[in-house]
Amino acid sequence: MKIRAKARSKSVGPVGATRGLSLFSLPALAWFGFFTIGPLLAMFYISTLKWRSLIGKSEPAGLANYEKLFGSDVFYASLANTAFQLGFMIPIMIPLAFMVGYYITLKPRGHRVLRVVLFTPGLISISATAMVFYASLGPQGLVNGLLDSIGLEDLTKPWLASQDTALLMIVLIGLWQGIGYTAVLFAARLESVNRDLYEAAKLDGASEWRIMWRIAFPISLDFVGTLTMLQFLWTLFGSAGLILLLTRGGPGLSTTTLSLLVYQKAFFENDLGYSQAAGVVLFAIGLVGMLVIRTLVKARY
Amino acid sequence: MKRIGLGRLASGTLVWIYGLLLALPIYFLLTSSLKENMEIFQEPFALPTEWLFSNYAEAWERAVMLKALANSIFVSASAEIITLALVIPASYGLARSRSKLALFLERVFALGFLIPAFATLVPVLLLSIQLGLFQTREFLTLFMVASTLPLSVILLTQFMRTIPAELEESAMVDGLSRLRIMWHIYLPLSLPGVSMIVILNFLAYWNEFLFSLVLVGSNADNRTIQVALPTLIDQTKTEFGPLLAGTVITLIPVYLLYIVLNRRLEGALTAGAIKG
Repeated sequence: MKIRAKARSKSVGPVGATRGLSLFSLPALAWFGFFTIGPLLAMFYISTLKWRSLIGKSEPAGLANYEKLFGSDVFYASLANTAFQLGFMIPIMIPLAFMVGYYITLKPRGHRVLRVVLFTPGLISISATAMVFYASLGPQGLVNGLLDSIGLEDLTKPWLASQDTALLMIVLIGLWQGIGYTAVLFAARLESVNRDLYEAAKLDGASEWRIMWRIAFPISLDFVGTLTMLQFLWTLFGSAGLILLLTRGGPGLSTTTLSLLVYQKAFFENDLGYSQAAGVVLFAIGLVGMLVIRTLVKARY
Repeated sequence: MKRIGLGRLASGTLVWIYGLLLALPIYFLLTSSLKENMEIFQEPFALPTEWLFSNYAEAWERAVMLKALANSIFVSASAEIITLALVIPASYGLARSRSKLALFLERVFALGFLIPAFATLVPVLLLSIQLGLFQTREFLTLFMVASTLPLSVILLTQFMRTIPAELEESAMVDGLSRLRIMWHIYLPLSLPGVSMIVILNFLAYWNEFLFSLVLVGSNADNRTIQVALPTLIDQTKTEFGPLLAGTVITLIPVYLLYIVLNRRLEGALTAGAIKG
């Protein structure tokens, strides 16, 4: 924001001369409004309708969908699963990614190879990721093969088909994919930090660990906030695709997250009103979460 | 620095272990794509005894990949073109205008970036039905354009702001219209920024899964490569060799791009998150 303001004041000439230039952005704005803002508003409206088929008619239902939602066990189960997913993933991902990112900026031996490896999962689509782990975590997959070969046969299990491990696997896949990419992002930011700061601290006898957490971390706190916010949103809204391909919410309800619930109610059970009521709750959680993260970061900044 | 601290040694070890965890499934993917089920199950880490390239042929046939690749290319390429046609004027306008309205519009795009596309999944599907474009690649294209607009506008606007305004002012003195200035002066100078958003958006378009599934569906004539891939899973008995071979096929275009544009692609992806 600061950089932006500076660039703005640099240009010369009266404001009036540039009037009308904003109109150049109207087509883009209209497009975005039609395909995103409109549908977003429609979500709120649909959540008040009784609508039981994609091609059928709808009728007003007031808040009935919300009553149904708040009165259903599957909603609370999905809420708990989403909380587990977020609570497990974000606090592990952000600090680890920060440390990995910091480590890369020290340019240790092999850091180029490391960068490529860390970047790799960020390029792979959801369906390709799902296929790799469908094969790796299956009853006769990579993980069980590994356990077998080191004599831990007793621990082998169908990881995605067991009630007590399926959600954990979804979270671990998220971490597998997210840490590396987030680390590269942190590294890009940390590269702009003035090295002299580190050197000065080192002369004062500070350990690498202290430098990382006491100097590099506070300096990039605003960026930590941004990435936490983005990962929060991606996890909250983005899990439906992977879960749909790997477990379809099961076994039982063990991997039914709130975003999967939105999908499931609309496309498996043809209950559009209920689905969109869940969508509104999801949206509200996203909004509140974002504000909380912002406030927390600002308070310590 | 002569002394290698304990902390550094420990963090180095941890990072490399994580690197190994990242590489292992990729190694498994590549080797298993050339094996038979029995061999995958019994020797998951060994190199294939016999390289079964026939797995690739089988995946290619069974998932009708040629058609799917063509669809993905069609969708990605048309979305790229429409996006540029919308983003270049928008960014030029926002970068050069200093009115309050422009500032406000830029905020709108910045906020728009934070709206998760997933929230609009069901209404967007209903919209496609309303427009009579359900299960067409065209509607998917139009929608994907919208999903990448905010970030593209923000990034290119910031890029165009680094071009000196004096250039424009002297061109105006010469009597060039705004459109000509945009086309003949700004566009050539902002090609690095343009290529950045083209790369970034290509990854988004090529890898898109959920909307492709819902809006286009899994009909073999229209589906994209990401939707075709999971059809290789068989509920009763999956052939993992062809499944993983198919996975490799979907990754090839992205990795080719990565090999050719290594630094640029990293730059585009990091800029996407940092500036957004």
